[in-house]
Amino acid sequence: MSAVSFSGVSKRYKDGPKAVDALDLDIADGEFMVFVGPSGCGKSTALRMLAGLEEITDGELRIGGRVVNDLPPGDRDIAMVFQNYALYPHMTVRENIGFALEVAKVDKKEAKQKIEDAAELLGLTEYLDRLPKALSGGQRQRVAMGRAIVRSPQVFLMDEPLSNLDAKLRVQMRSDIIQLQARLGTTMVYVTHDQVEAMTMGHRVAVLRSGILQQVAPPQQLYLEPANLFVASFIGSPSMNLITSEVSVDGDVVTLSFDDHRVRLASGAVERYPGLLDRHGSEIIFGMRPEHFALAGDIDVLDEQIIDVDVELAEAMGAEVHVHSTLDVPPVSIDGEMLDPDDDSLADGTRIIARIDGIHVVAMGERIRLALKTHLAHFFDPADGRPLR
Amino acid sequence: MSVKRKGPRATAVRVATYALLITVAIIVLFPFVVAVSTSLKRNTDIFTYPPSLVPRTVTTVTDPDLGLENATVYELPGSDGQFALVESDVPVAEFRRIDDPEVIIALPPDQGVETDRTTVVDGDEETIYLVEVDGSEVEVFRARLTVGGLFQPLDGEGDSESVVELVNLATPERVFGPRFENFSQVVTEKNLGRSLTNTVLVTIAVVVGQIVTSVLGGYAFARIDFRGRDRLFLLYLGSVMIPFVVLIIPLFQLMLQLGWTDNLVALIIPFVFTAYGTFLMRQFFLGIPKEIEEAALIDGASRATTLWKVMVPLARPAIATLATFGFLYAWNSFFWPLVIINSGNPDNGLLTLTLATLGGRSSTDTNLVFAGAVLAMTPPILVFLFAQRYFVENSASSGLK
Repeated sequence: MSAVSFSGVSKRYKDGPKAVDALDLDIADGEFMVFVGPSGCGKSTALRMLAGLEEITDGELRIGGRVVNDLPPGDRDIAMVFQNYALYPHMTVRENIGFALEVAKVDKKEAKQKIEDAAELLGLTEYLDRLPKALSGGQRQRVAMGRAIVRSPQVFLMDEPLSNLDAKLRVQMRSDIIQLQARLGTTMVYVTHDQVEAMTMGHRVAVLRSGILQQVAPPQQLYLEPANLFVASFIGSPSMNLITSEVSVDGDVVTLSFDDHRVRLASGAVERYPGLLDRHGSEIIFGMRPEHFALAGDIDVLDEQIIDVDVELAEAMGAEVHVHSTLDVPPVSIDGEMLDPDDDSLADGTRIIARIDGIHVVAMGERIRLALKTHLAHFFDPADGRPLR
Repeated sequence: MSVKRKGPRATAVRVATYALLITVAIIVLFPFVVAVSTSLKRNTDIFTYPPSLVPRTVTTVTDPDLGLENATVYELPGSDGQFALVESDVPVAEFRRIDDPEVIIALPPDQGVETDRTTVVDGDEETIYLVEVDGSEVEVFRARLTVGGLFQPLDGEGDSESVVELVNLATPERVFGPRFENFSQVVTEKNLGRSLTNTVLVTIAVVVGQIVTSVLGGYAFARIDFRGRDRLFLLYLGSVMIPFVVLIIPLFQLMLQLGWTDNLVALIIPFVFTAYGTFLMRQFFLGIPKEIEEAALIDGASRATTLWKVMVPLARPAIATLATFGFLYAWNSFFWPLVIINSGNPDNGLLTLTLATLGGRSSTDTNLVFAGAVLAMTPPILVFLFAQRYFVENSASSGLK
């Protein structure tokens, strides 16, 4: 039996578009599910419907087999951690953690024990009698977790719990939450806009966009087999390079042309994306992750799999170098939206980022030869964004 | 904390600032000091010249050897030492020197020896008398015959001679002596006690009532979604713009129909509902992050529990502000009670009403009027002193982010 099940769940605000559109999703018992997507994609709304903080417009939502559409939040057997922690400022840590127990009229002695256990688990024991304002961000975050843990709910809900922390603490808390969830074995639904968090934390990741579920899969599968162009571009950092290219098929040899380059695809690519063979003469979107590039001398490839580019920016990261350059092809948009609306430079070209080995020293303005590991590449239909499998 | 400027210029600026502030503080505080001092004075002590801020009392002496009991102590012009007033209505002749009519010599009438000569003073013919001053005879005329006091010297020997002097020329010896009886007297004799009880009762009822209705109303306007909420709120808020004088006649008629005239209820119920308080609480509740309430909801708390255990404690500064304003309003309200409470019914009087009558009717007891005023203004001052931080600290957002 699944712990949480969305079937056809929709949310429509007054005179607005659907914030969540017919969401179908089963979350297994004990699973760590992450909802990820850009802002406004409906991930928080989905979580809030699950929490009972938003009315469900349509569809059916079950927790532990029970339909909870019309159940108030307190009766859903869930606990939630908010982005701003939402601690009760006038209560001590002890009172904050124990509030739910107090409301539920749990026996005082039992409640005390539970509070202390939770505090112990989170390393808050010495702060129990402090007020939230006397705590650091990380400690407040842990108090919010404690408030959730102490109720031993069926499902934990977390709404971007780490986004108010500084980068170092965020990494620390990330692993703490993973370990905590593994230890408690409680089902967790975790909302984030940060795809790194999504990838590192979730057993499975649900990618949402404009209220529509794009793909649910374990992180690695999401990365290796994106279900569409959006998932491909959203997951991974730096994100996948998407290049509009023209296909020519000659027998079983597939060649892509873009800018002044002609690239012959490795046979492995065609095996994984057989749909390419039907696209002779049409445009497709060629997806290369940054690590699918290498400097020409580093790997063995055919000459037809090497392109010459001008280095516009080289970022030495230590183990690797990120090489930025621009191809003279129209940038890719998804449903009329630019992938990166902030970047004006995309207006008349496609910026690509290649990740090459860190032993190379690359200077700005230099012309380099990039080898393409085409057997790892992805190919999408520009019309519907589907992969050409 | 900012870094303080240093150097002589900065010091001069600071000194000037403090000097200015202290001056203003003295000017502002002076009326209060006068009120308090007057409330502690004897009635006879209020209009003395030169005026004194310190309540004083005359000194008395009791000395069986001298046959004195509670005799007032005076200083006499032209004599050293202290004198006790033994008898206050002995006949006195007021003689004035011929060569210097400004000098007054007060003596028993028989100590002036009448001559048959006369002189003219201010166009009147006056008989010349001879009196003895410091062992020599002086020519005087008798300005008038009156009554004066018989004063006995206190520091001389037992056989020192008593002196006759006009009482208004003698200065009583005054020492610091507040008269606290003014307060008990005004409370018991001038019916201020009953008024005080009524005022306290009405004030508590109004303040508690205002808090209850404002918290409930403010919460509803802030957080409960219902049809026409914002319009209703605007309408409600608009009522703040109506001056109270406009409402007096309709309100009076309403009270008349309810049978509440000359009744304390009429001072409470109409003021328990306050648009201002509702507005204040609504604004405060709007400022509390929604997530805190949602967290309580998820913790299983009902709306009532959330309101009572989470929102109200967080709103304490706003509630304290509201309570302070409500208190000051109810405590000081004068015009409506004047209209609705029958002035012939002292049982329903309020402090403000009784004080007004006190000032008008028995204005001779200035010290009692001031004692009543001090009693009336002490609670508001105390409330302000204790609640002033709520005027300053109007944010409870600390610890939320």
